Amino acid sequence: MDNTTNTLAEQSKLRRLVNSYGVPRLIITGFLLLMFILAPVAGVDFATQITNVINRFSWNAIMVLAMVPMIHSGCGLNFGLPLGIISGLLGATLSIEFGFTGGMSFLMAIVIATPFALVLGGGYGWMLNKIKGGEMMVATYVGFSSVSFMCMMWLLLPYKSPTMVWGFAGKGLRTTISLEGFYDQFLAKFLQIDLNRFGINLVIPTGSLLFFALLAFLMWVFLHTKTGTAMTAVGSNPTFAKAAGISVDKTRLLSVVLSTWLGAVGILLYEQGFGFVQIYMAPLNMAFPAVAAILIGGASVNKASITNVIIGTILYQGLVTMTPTVMNAIVHLDISEVIRIIVSNGMIVYALTRKTEGGK
Amino acid sequence: MKKTNVPGSQSFGQKLLQFIRNNTVPIMFILICAYCIPQAGFSWSYLLNEVMTRLGRNAFLILSLLIPVMAGMGMNFGMTLGAMAGEIGLIFAADWQVWGIPGMILAAIVSIPISVALGVMIGKILNRSKGREMITSYMISFTMNGVYQFVVLFMMGPIIPIVHDSLKLPRGYGIRNTVSLLSMRQSLDNLLAVQVGGVKIPVLTLLIIGLACLFIVWFRKTKLGQDMRAVGQDMEVARDAGINVERTRVISMVISTVFAGFGMIIYLQNVGNFPTYTAHTQIGMFAIAALLVGGASVDRASIGNVFLGVILFHTMFIVAPKTGAAITGDSMIGEYFRVFVSYAVITLALVMYESKKRKNKSLAGQQLAAEQAAEEEASK
Amino acid sequence: MKAKRRLLFQILAVVLLVAIGYTMTIIGRGHTIYLDSKTLEYDGQTYKPAYKTVVYVDGQQVAKLYDKERGVATCIGQTLTVTLEITQQKGGTEEVYAYNIPVPRKMDNVIINLPGFLAGLPEEAYLSEFIPSPDEVAADETDVPSDDDFGMEDMGMGDESAAQ
Repeated sequence: MDNTTNTLAEQSKLRRLVNSYGVPRLIITGFLLLMFILAPVAGVDFATQITNVINRFSWNAIMVLAMVPMIHSGCGLNFGLPLGIISGLLGATLSIEFGFTGGMSFLMAIVIATPFALVLGGGYGWMLNKIKGGEMMVATYVGFSSVSFMCMMWLLLPYKSPTMVWGFAGKGLRTTISLEGFYDQFLAKFLQIDLNRFGINLVIPTGSLLFFALLAFLMWVFLHTKTGTAMTAVGSNPTFAKAAGISVDKTRLLSVVLSTWLGAVGILLYEQGFGFVQIYMAPLNMAFPAVAAILIGGASVNKASITNVIIGTILYQGLVTMTPTVMNAIVHLDISEVIRIIVSNGMIVYALTRKTEGGK
Repeated sequence: MKKTNVPGSQSFGQKLLQFIRNNTVPIMFILICAYCIPQAGFSWSYLLNEVMTRLGRNAFLILSLLIPVMAGMGMNFGMTLGAMAGEIGLIFAADWQVWGIPGMILAAIVSIPISVALGVMIGKILNRSKGREMITSYMISFTMNGVYQFVVLFMMGPIIPIVHDSLKLPRGYGIRNTVSLLSMRQSLDNLLAVQVGGVKIPVLTLLIIGLACLFIVWFRKTKLGQDMRAVGQDMEVARDAGINVERTRVISMVISTVFAGFGMIIYLQNVGNFPTYTAHTQIGMFAIAALLVGGASVDRASIGNVFLGVILFHTMFIVAPKTGAAITGDSMIGEYFRVFVSYAVITLALVMYESKKRKNKSLAGQQLAAEQAAEEEASK
Repeated sequence: MKAKRRLLFQILAVVLLVAIGYTMTIIGRGHTIYLDSKTLEYDGQTYKPAYKTVVYVDGQQVAKLYDKERGVATCIGQTLTVTLEITQQKGGTEEVYAYNIPVPRKMDNVIINLPGFLAGLPEEAYLSEFIPSPDEVAADETDVPSDDDFGMEDMGMGDESAAQ
């Protein structure tokens, strides 16, 4: 009798642990661990893999971080991330157009992107305030429309810099713009740790990681300020927040602007690591990996923390980088793309079906 | 759904304004088309022919969206799944070398069980995410695209038998990037086709579309259709009235998915071949955009909206690249423009729907508050 | 009782659909038919082709065959209905015949030797399966350009850009 209750208790304890970690996250972590274990068996260089994962982490982490403010304020998952990305792209292209080079072009890109992010984010936030409850679907399509609208703009805006426009026409931006001579690897090279000297193929882009750490820390601090806690209050219980004298609309607007700005900075950091600016239709689907990453990290539609961002990005990027190489080495089947599509989008579906919405 | 305006209480000007406000999107599109058509400089017979082709091609797909709207589940982005089922049916028909209209019927029959299973699945998932059906169905279509790839790219060949090597990739498993439907190309459209002043009218296809319309009209009148509308109006009230809300919603998704499968088969027989892995990805978006262009909203869509939508949306689609080229000297502008318009229309419709919903909600809230206040006053 | 009837109807519907589907695989089975006008040796006898054979299917001319030539026709179902316009000698008169040639359901590509068929030989004499060589299959691979891609390629919705 005693025995059974004991095991039952233990079972529920285990179950609680599993539940707190989340079943999908558990599966993905397990899968990733399996990949790491299989990597040496498959003859894949372990250090290279780690380098890849860290690199990808440093490229994508800020775009995932951009999800946090909007989730906190109850605006749901920011499927409208492309709007922020557009601001970032405007910053990047204008900074090059104005003739900035090297590290300066990165700083100027952020500076130029900021007003765009503020204006676009402001308009976007204003609109989301009109449609509380239906944010996510609208956000998706706001992202899509803005990307396709900018496609026309990239062709029509009077860009002149020969590094960016089509050579033969002399106008219209190229689909990919190389950042060589601009801010390619600018942060990644800063304090870079390269173990190739010791025969280990491990390179750590310290600068990028520090930059992310700085922004993540600032976000953490922000969430603990008065405004930040107000934001969380608005997200978890709008009625209560209103009663406490917080302006719900203003707080939501602020969170959307913040998300958009982080999206802008996020894409700049991504380009910095990737080495190219991709325009036209490239930003269209960039929101989905970021959304999937934060959900894999354990966030839900209305709850997210910095830890979710870090864990999620590592897991998601690990999955994306590890599976193709390991799978190909073992079974010679390029099934990784399929796995990525199912896992990342399936994760979003899973999160959407969870009954976690505070208000409803 | 009926307007509650007191007749005669409005002046003509107000009525006109009301009409314009209720039909913003179609009016906008008529203006766009009116501007673009002369710019593009196509001959009328060419334009009419193209519009007729696209009407026959797309109308059935768009009809599949009507029933979930009735059940209050919004635009069914999950119709993509039906399209996938239709494609799988066509792959089998092509592999078994069944040609012409029998091939299409066979493909339709093969697609039914797949569509039903997928429809039940979406319905069940959407029952768990009430209030955000659209984004969920959208993400489901993305996820299932992965599953479709898995089935078609990896399982067809070793697990699901495919007879003809000509259909398979050279590596021995998986279907080639393009499936040719040359043997059933336009077999439905050409049978009983009538030429009127250089415009080919695919009578049989239109008849089938007409039958689907009749089905929808009839279905609205059945007990199930009435239940569905009740569920669409207010889930709680419907539940209190003894309607099995969950089941009704699942059925609406099943019907929509099966219809979408048929629609995809009709669509692809017209085109004559399909890119195996990308044919379905855009279908949902274009169908939804066309329906919204026709004046539908997320909670109200009629058969009239379908036809007006197909005609306006596809006219824009045909003339936009040429117009863009005529104005800016770059045909890509027109291409991007039509993509932008498709997205923008959906965005606009979603924003209008959500803001209206919210306004009604807050109005109801205010009313409730006022009533409560009045009651308190009275009790004092 | 009601549930039982319901189940019965459902089963009936499924059976009906399967039956229709199976019927379709028979009446809709497509064949590519290669019509050969060349000399056939069978049972020690030689059957010589006519000087000229014009083949009509569904009232449309599909081939005009001289000696050692091959024409292609398609047929849906298990009977190929052809009208042959045969000129035995050069400068001779045309004779018109209509034939129903049975085609085995399992074969995709069928070769029919016309002199053999016209002489009334058994099926195995004039009919054989055509197996395309692997090269030809590879040649078929060239992607048929879709006449309307809806600008799908441009839209990048294939989710591939998201991988980066």
